[in-house]
Amino acid sequence: MGLLEISGLLLFILFLLLAGGVWIAMSLAVVGYLGLALFTGTPPGKGLFTAFWGTNSSLSLAALPMFIWMGEILFRTKLSQEMFDGLAPWLNKVPGRLMHVNILGCGIFGSVSGSSAATCATISKVALPELLKRGYDERIALGSLATAGTLGILIPPSITMVVYAVAADASIIRIFLAGFIPGFILMILFSGYIVVWALMNPEKTPPPGPSMTFMEKVKASGNLIPVTLLIIFIVWVLVAGIASATECAAYGVLGSLAIAWWSGSLTWANFLESLMSATRVSCMIMFILAGASFLSMAMGFTGIPRALAEWVASLGLSPLALIGALTIFYIVLGTALDGVSMIVLTSAVVLPMIQKAGFDLVWFGIFIVLLVEIAEVTPPVGFNLFVLQNMTGKDSNEIAKAAIPFFAMLVLTIAIITVFPSVVTWLPDVVMGVEKK
Amino acid sequence: MSFRKNLAWLYDAAGYLAAFFVFGIFAVMIGQTVMRELGLKTSGADDLTKWFSAAAAFLAMAHAFRRGDFVRVTLLIDNVGPRTRRVMELASLAVASAACAYLAFWATRSTYESWLYKDMSDGVIAVALWIPQLSFVVGAILLALAVIEQLVIVSLGEKPSYVVAVEERHARGDFSEDL
Repeated sequence: MGLLEISGLLLFILFLLLAGGVWIAMSLAVVGYLGLALFTGTPPGKGLFTAFWGTNSSLSLAALPMFIWMGEILFRTKLSQEMFDGLAPWLNKVPGRLMHVNILGCGIFGSVSGSSAATCATISKVALPELLKRGYDERIALGSLATAGTLGILIPPSITMVVYAVAADASIIRIFLAGFIPGFILMILFSGYIVVWALMNPEKTPPPGPSMTFMEKVKASGNLIPVTLLIIFIVWVLVAGIASATECAAYGVLGSLAIAWWSGSLTWANFLESLMSATRVSCMIMFILAGASFLSMAMGFTGIPRALAEWVASLGLSPLALIGALTIFYIVLGTALDGVSMIVLTSAVVLPMIQKAGFDLVWFGIFIVLLVEIAEVTPPVGFNLFVLQNMTGKDSNEIAKAAIPFFAMLVLTIAIITVFPSVVTWLPDVVMGVEKK
Repeated sequence: MSFRKNLAWLYDAAGYLAAFFVFGIFAVMIGQTVMRELGLKTSGADDLTKWFSAAAAFLAMAHAFRRGDFVRVTLLIDNVGPRTRRVMELASLAVASAACAYLAFWATRSTYESWLYKDMSDGVIAVALWIPQLSFVVGAILLALAVIEQLVIVSLGEKPSYVVAVEERHARGDFSEDL
């Protein structure tokens, strides 16, 4: 059997296991085992141990439970209500009015949270009932919340980025920095769409709330102080050199605990619940990463990734065609897989391909995060859809339909970063210097 | 039944221990930065963080599996009839049982070899490697037990615990554990 046939066979087995409902981490490890046992002379057992132990006892991965815990703590506070109260008065005059709270709220919360579903759930919990109560259009409200929630993983910190950085062996801090500008662009596009929609459908936006004087608005903005302080605190710890990118995650936890304590929601039960939740989620992610790292190791022994990379190179695709093909590939994959699995599943094969084609790993990280965002809002499997389905009782396909215009904005952002890669690489290069190749 | 209750207690106990290690990562990271600011040596803190992180991940596996936190593609399994579903569930659990038993075997064997050959950690603090690796052994054995337990109860006609747990959590509107 040639390498291409072998990879086809392994891919088929992987597909069978995944579709049959075998847990993702285990499916990956089983395929890794088969690859080693059937097609190489390397005994799989020792490799399995090394891959699992090596992955889970790595320093950069230790940040993962911290970022997750931080989100779990904030989810249990009144932070989102405060953000709504603080943002709302400023948006009365903008076409689309309070609809923009969804975008701004998700963007701000995204800069303290690393998860898309958590961002979506935290902001929707408050914004959705408030918007519907005031008579805002439900479709746009749902679509914007589902999609803007995904800013949680584009605007750092981001669990997805940590996973990618570990899988690609790239710098976490660089990828974090690279997420800022695309995040802003995406927010502008989302808000821009709402403005255009509101101007075209003026009858669908309810009248403005009672107008406030400037001073009243400023006073209402006092609600934004806790979240602003938290952001400043984390950035300060990082910039002042007190903590590394990994360690600043622990400071995020510290700051979140302080906010929870200050707002009176830091009960012993909440503390324990958030800690246990964080433990389980990080265990789940690390289990997948360990399984994937074993699969990558096995693939390396079989020589499949190199063969595939050379095969793709021999097709003579232009970089643009390659990116186009990968975009479609990931959108299809994203209909059935969650983001973390999508990244670790493909990194062993796709990353060598990408590097051979001359793409920057940091740039590709942002590209893939944007595609994961798309995956979160594409049915049948999209976590943000599930979150909103559960909150509203609406069918997830209906929510997905409402998200289509915002989905288009995500695709547009992918096009923008492909045509102008410097919007991704500029900030990390300015802050950290150009990376030596 | 009481045997299963004991098992469940064991998984949860290991889960709490894992949470303790997550808190440990937090404590070490903060402590390390504070000591560095004070000009004190922090050698070995990174090793501690790594081992805590491993312990947190391994010890929570059985607990997380049983609570339905491990992700799988449910597209097909959620949309077939109850009989087909049971067959798929059993097949998945059979594959998972074999895989996890294999993992537990190799975790134990490799750690035993670390002990036998007196492997030391290569970091700043020299510790016999089998000590941190013990979390892998315990975690992998518990996971194998948890998966086999589910295989047994599903083949006896019960609904799997990981399905029940997720249904309950989503009914409460709690999505914090989905990414």
